[in-house]
Amino acid sequence: MAEDTVEITQKDQVPAQAGEPTYEGAYFTPAVDIYETVNEIVLLADMPGVEADNLDVDLNDDELIIVGRVNAVDDEGAELLSEYRVGNYYRNFRISDVVDRRSISASLSDGVLKIVLPKAAKAVPRKIPISVG
Amino acid sequence: MYIWRTGRGRLGGEIARLRRDMDDLVGALAGGGRTWLRSPWRETRLFPLLNVRETSDAFIVSSEIPGMKKEDLEVKIEGDTLSLRGERPPETIGDEASFHRRERAVGTFQRSLTLPGNVDRDRVNATYRHGVLTVRLFKETKSAPKEIKISAE
Repeated sequence: MAEDTVEITQKDQVPAQAGEPTYEGAYFTPAVDIYETVNEIVLLADMPGVEADNLDVDLNDDELIIVGRVNAVDDEGAELLSEYRVGNYYRNFRISDVVDRRSISASLSDGVLKIVLPKAAKAVPRKIPISVG
Repeated sequence: MYIWRTGRGRLGGEIARLRRDMDDLVGALAGGGRTWLRSPWRETRLFPLLNVRETSDAFIVSSEIPGMKKEDLEVKIEGDTLSLRGERPPETIGDEASFHRRERAVGTFQRSLTLPGNVDRDRVNATYRHGVLTVRLFKETKSAPKEIKISAE
């Protein structure tokens, strides 16, 4: 394919002013997909290298905060090529009233975090049956 | 190298892309030079990124490729060239659903890497844990330097 420029899939570092809690090490912004179905909003985040034990998903008021820490440090041998940096992940989202906060669930598989935010009953479209009188 | 169709990038990247596309369009309208009109559905990116380390007996190649199934990842070694190939299918969300944000890339990718030395092709192991692929390639023992004694006649 004749392309004059090739974009590099980079990890974006979290800006220092983002109001993140101070932890050791570099923080990156994970790439995120958000989609909405009839009953729920689903959030998927790429967080390679994060184990379930090192992942925190917190909901404070309207703010959903995702923090993933990467423990594995490769320091075996000498570095020949370094195209990406290994680090932790941080991202926050604002949750609207549409979401039923009590039943949010999260799962992690192969470095992808999936958060399911079910819609509150009032936000789910409902067809009202008409009874014939 | 790698062909990788992407979703929507973050805002900064989107603006840069928009500007590039506008430049292309203006260039095409002005009839100046040859411009490659990009399809909005296809972008090239270098993916996946690789880190390579060398120990006394092995090369360790690691790469962050989250959300893959083991069967969709192919690791091949030919001579001193390691190639990675795979496909990350788009998320199936159903007809009723719609995306609000799409930053995670989907598509097929391929990368190859020439290692700085010969490796023992029978002693290569690849692991995929928490979305990180690690390939450990042991160096060929045959190619280890050996001193030749000179005998006097």
